[in-house]
Amino acid sequence: MIEVRGLAKTFRVAVKEPGLKGSLKALVRRRSVARHAVLPTTFRVEEGEIVGLVGPNGAGKTTLVKMLAGIVHPSAGDASVLGYRPWERKDAFRRQIALLMGQKAQLWWDLPASDGFALLRDIYGVPRALHAARLDELSSLLEVGGLLDTPVRRLSLGERMKMELVAALLHGPKVVFLDEPTIGLDLSAQRAVREFLLRYRERHRPAMVLTSHYMEDIERLCSRLLLLREGQLIYDGPLARVAEQAGDLKVVRAHLKPEGVPAPEALRALLAPLGEVLEGGPAQVAVRVPRTRVAEVASRLLQVLPVADLAIEAEEIGTLIERLLARRQEGAAP
Amino acid sequence: MRPALFLHVASMSARRSLSYRADFWIQAVLTFAAELGLAWFLWAGMLAASGAPTLGGMGFEELVRYAVLVALVGKVVRGTELEGAIAQEIYEGGLSRYRVYPVSFFAFKYAQHLGSLLPSVAQLLVFGAAWVLLRGEAGLEGITPATAAGCVLALAVGNLLQFTLAWPIQGVAFWAENVWSLMVALRFVGSLLGGALLPLGVWPEALRPVLEALPFRYLYAFPVEVLTGHVGGAALVQGLCVALGWTALLGWAGAAVWRRGDRIYSGAGM
Repeated sequence: MIEVRGLAKTFRVAVKEPGLKGSLKALVRRRSVARHAVLPTTFRVEEGEIVGLVGPNGAGKTTLVKMLAGIVHPSAGDASVLGYRPWERKDAFRRQIALLMGQKAQLWWDLPASDGFALLRDIYGVPRALHAARLDELSSLLEVGGLLDTPVRRLSLGERMKMELVAALLHGPKVVFLDEPTIGLDLSAQRAVREFLLRYRERHRPAMVLTSHYMEDIERLCSRLLLLREGQLIYDGPLARVAEQAGDLKVVRAHLKPEGVPAPEALRALLAPLGEVLEGGPAQVAVRVPRTRVAEVASRLLQVLPVADLAIEAEEIGTLIERLLARRQEGAAP
Repeated sequence: MRPALFLHVASMSARRSLSYRADFWIQAVLTFAAELGLAWFLWAGMLAASGAPTLGGMGFEELVRYAVLVALVGKVVRGTELEGAIAQEIYEGGLSRYRVYPVSFFAFKYAQHLGSLLPSVAQLLVFGAAWVLLRGEAGLEGITPATAAGCVLALAVGNLLQFTLAWPIQGVAFWAENVWSLMVALRFVGSLLGGALLPLGVWPEALRPVLEALPFRYLYAFPVEVLTGHVGGAALVQGLCVALGWTALLGWAGAAVWRRGDRIYSGAGM
């Protein structure tokens, strides 16, 4: 459904020297430098797949999405989405894709969402009966049926995002680009959006590309991850394999009884040889260790400390991704 | 763009522009009162200072009526949607949402622009009627159903001309961070050379052919001249042809600017 071959984007960005002298110079002649937003990138996305596009701010995620949605022209490389070159913006292509940008609304602020939906029906040429059926399905899945006639400006942020989702999906797109769909939402609204997207995917099987800074979005929705750093695709694979790539580490955490805990210095000296100390008591200690040493370290803690409770925790996906990004930055092999 | 969709977009834009009723009436009444007061005192003062009974071939009554009509007509031609709004959308990345729609952005924005004119059209009718009530038959002098129909035609062409005139200028936002100053310059030059600030009759005779060949007259003075019966028949057709010629030329220039800008559009930020 989506095939990307060496796609890259370089922007020219104006630069100005600091101070008054720089401002005066810029009045006459403005200098610009090339900023590589996306370095040559290659990947594929299949039908029904939700791919998470992850990376720090400025990594090139949104630029990549904009190129695939046909908003921005690439500087090099090629891409095919549903058999079309996106930036040629053929109407047949645009009828089959959707783009939801969490920070940019498409509904009309001063009018009820239902007015915006009716306009979208005409824009995409959806027959009235089909439009009504889809609107009914989407609004009941998102539980916004009672808010359709309320002006968009009077809706809460979460309700607005749900309406934006309805607007993006009403024409039945085969490819959906979601750029930060849960940004700024409270936890329950985030959960509702995630659950909706999973159910929608089950029913309609579109290909979805999702960018998000919330690791829970990625963990719950995506089976595959594309990791970008400074415009470069540094990981493309199953989410489950991120742990292996980042180094398969576990956290051994022990809650301690109040009696018999060594003095802080002695406790530190005791923990240091075991692994990376995350917490050093007196009520709780936590040590990050390779999976192969978990039994040994747990047994050692039980021997030398008054342990009340012991837990062995997998690391959060966000931590693993951060470590993977940091390791690639240092030039370490995966 | 299909006509039904064009009308739908225009209707939504009209509804949106009417959603702030208080703003609509305050803006309408205050602006009309200010424009009427200014024209009244300005032309009374000018005629008194010159000692002549007419200026540019117009007496006091006609000068004031021209000023009121040209202000109302100017609003209908310019609208409210276009004042830098498209440039702002390029600058802030709002253009992105239209790019995924399977419709022409130009047609979509023009439909929005036309819809946003509804308050201005309402103001033209309400205050035009108020003027006639205030001045009696003198307010209607030269105006007939035929001249009113010609004025509607001239307004439609003037409106399209204004849109295509602003189109390439707004497209400069692909390169420049702010095109506000260009829009202000266009408005000032257009008002001066188009007869919105002064009737074109007060300009030196030698300059009149130049003013008639430029596009600005067809934004302001021309629809008023048609309404008041000063321009009709062959002159009306000739004027419409000049305006449509400029529209085609500017449409071509705008398309060229937008084609080039399209390739460097970043959608605001990276």
